[in-house]
Amino acid sequence: MQINRRQILQGATALAGAATLGQPAFAQANPLQVGFIYVGPVGDFGWSTMHDVGRKRLEEVMGAAVKTTAVEAVATNDMERVATQLARQGHRLIFTTSFSFFQPTMRVAPTLPNVFFESATGTQTAPNVSLYNARFYEGRYVQGVIAARKSKTKTIGYIAAFPVPEVVHAINTVMRGAWSVDPSMKIRVVWANAWFNPGREADAARALIDQGCDVICAHTDSPAPLQLANERGVFGFGQASDMTRFAPRAHLTSSVNNWGDYYVERAKAVIAGTWQPGDVWGGLNSGMFRLAPFTNMSPEDVSEAERIRDAIATGRLHPFDGPITRADGTVAVPAGGRATDDQIRAMNYFYRGIDVALPS
Amino acid sequence: MTMFEAILLTIITASTPLLIGAIGQLVCERSGVLNLGMEGMMIMGAACGFAAAILSGNSYVGVLAAILAGMAMSLIFAVLTLGLAANQVASGLALSIFGLGLSGVIGAPFVGAKRDQMAKLYLPGLTDIPVIGKALFGQDPFVYASFALVIGVWWFLARSKPGLVLRACGENHASAHALGYPVLKIRLLAILFGGGCAGLAGAYLSLVYTPFWSPGMTAGRGWIALAIVVFASWRPWRVLAGAYLFGGITILQLHAQGAGVKVPSQFMAALPYLVTILALVIIMRRRGGQKTAPASLGTPFVPDR
Repeated sequence: MQINRRQILQGATALAGAATLGQPAFAQANPLQVGFIYVGPVGDFGWSTMHDVGRKRLEEVMGAAVKTTAVEAVATNDMERVATQLARQGHRLIFTTSFSFFQPTMRVAPTLPNVFFESATGTQTAPNVSLYNARFYEGRYVQGVIAARKSKTKTIGYIAAFPVPEVVHAINTVMRGAWSVDPSMKIRVVWANAWFNPGREADAARALIDQGCDVICAHTDSPAPLQLANERGVFGFGQASDMTRFAPRAHLTSSVNNWGDYYVERAKAVIAGTWQPGDVWGGLNSGMFRLAPFTNMSPEDVSEAERIRDAIATGRLHPFDGPITRADGTVAVPAGGRATDDQIRAMNYFYRGIDVALPS
Repeated sequence: MTMFEAILLTIITASTPLLIGAIGQLVCERSGVLNLGMEGMMIMGAACGFAAAILSGNSYVGVLAAILAGMAMSLIFAVLTLGLAANQVASGLALSIFGLGLSGVIGAPFVGAKRDQMAKLYLPGLTDIPVIGKALFGQDPFVYASFALVIGVWWFLARSKPGLVLRACGENHASAHALGYPVLKIRLLAILFGGGCAGLAGAYLSLVYTPFWSPGMTAGRGWIALAIVVFASWRPWRVLAGAYLFGGITILQLHAQGAGVKVPSQFMAALPYLVTILALVIIMRRRGGQKTAPASLGTPFVPDR
């Protein structure tokens, strides 16, 4: 009989799994094992980096009560395997930190009923799946306002990853903000078809700048577009972490993510036995993200940006107030109305005035 | 700066790392060795080149370190496939995975560090010529190196005796051996050359293209370089054409998107691959579809004693 290495490994994990299953009573006495699955490398200096900062914050606050494991750069089609593996190793709380992981999370969660899943963005919850996300669009609105003040060509360049609602409504919100200052503002969009591909992100930025865009918004994960804006003498925004140092002349502000407090809260809930599937969508006032200090702006522009940021945070200004008209001319939200959270999360159309092809 | 000039400059930037990587791989494959570790060698070059440039403060030290890192990686491959006659495909794949992991460890302290882009050439008068001035006389040293490499490799393979011997090793290693040529030694040198070029291509990514370090930043460029060699049917000039065609379509589709052309972006993203494959297949067909792969490519050679 031949036994290959894979079979041995399978046997070993099965044994380990059986061992964990056999002693659920001890689970409470041991530290809570918390798993994190990242879509990119921990060192992307953006999205995944900030989730890892959150993980470290969790360890710092909870000390010996938790034990964390991070798996980085996981491919979407490999996520179910990684999640199953983590569950077998005894992880009872698993954060799947990408919209791309939402569907795999929904598939794997029913097979692991003893594990609590937390999906960073998604469209529905399940008995053991919570959703959490931040209202990044609030920052995008402020970006739009700043861009309209800074742009001389009146054209914003937007490097988008994939045509998912999260990106589509962000583009809409940037323009909403820009139009609030100058209704003649235009936008050009390039889809990079990747969350993380620094070379292509930079190429996209080059193309947009060559076409006359002089403020660059990035909806991808690396600092490459902002760095390129710096080299070319135009302006840009940082994404996920404070990217000021990559572009001392170009950086206007960054949207800086902060997941640590949420991770602490959820780990505590699991330990206390009070974990319930939830759907958290935190805005500027929740602390889930903040805007990095405004740079390369005049004092008037800074105070305007701060005023608008605070108005959104306190709820006096809402980026999705009606009227909202789709690019094809139909009305999505009538005047006096406001898009619901579900509508925002399912947004699959551009506003009228955004002349950009939306890949179906 | 006109739009044409702007696009041309961006295309050069996008094509150079593919060209440098592919031309090195071409020499390696013409000697009969298929090294699929390209991606791993390239990213090791990017990591080590960036690390050395930060530590020394000198980009050229970084370039040197990148070349050495690529060669060191390829040496591992050489020990496995030449020394131990291991399977080349498996060893190459392992090298790619190993390189991606190791580069993450080496680069970890340098995440978030930044460097200014390497200086571009400036020749007063020449660089200022409209339209072509910057493209011809205003590039960084890597671009000139990539063209020098193509010319050098073409001359070496087509016109020099050592080049013919190298090709003989790739076409029929048993005959080359019977004629008294040191097949394994020649292949070792070819592998090291391929590794050095891969490292250089990596250095271009982390020192010029996007001057920072990030794990996985090659994002598949090593595999594309490998594919270009195959579709260029192992000819240096076609490698040049393939790399620029691929880079060109990549940039043009980004421009088309920015200009609002109503074509699905997924199709646009696939376009460089489609066009490059099509064009090179057509070139091959028009030449009568001759058998082009080195006959001994991928087969281990164990000299009889």
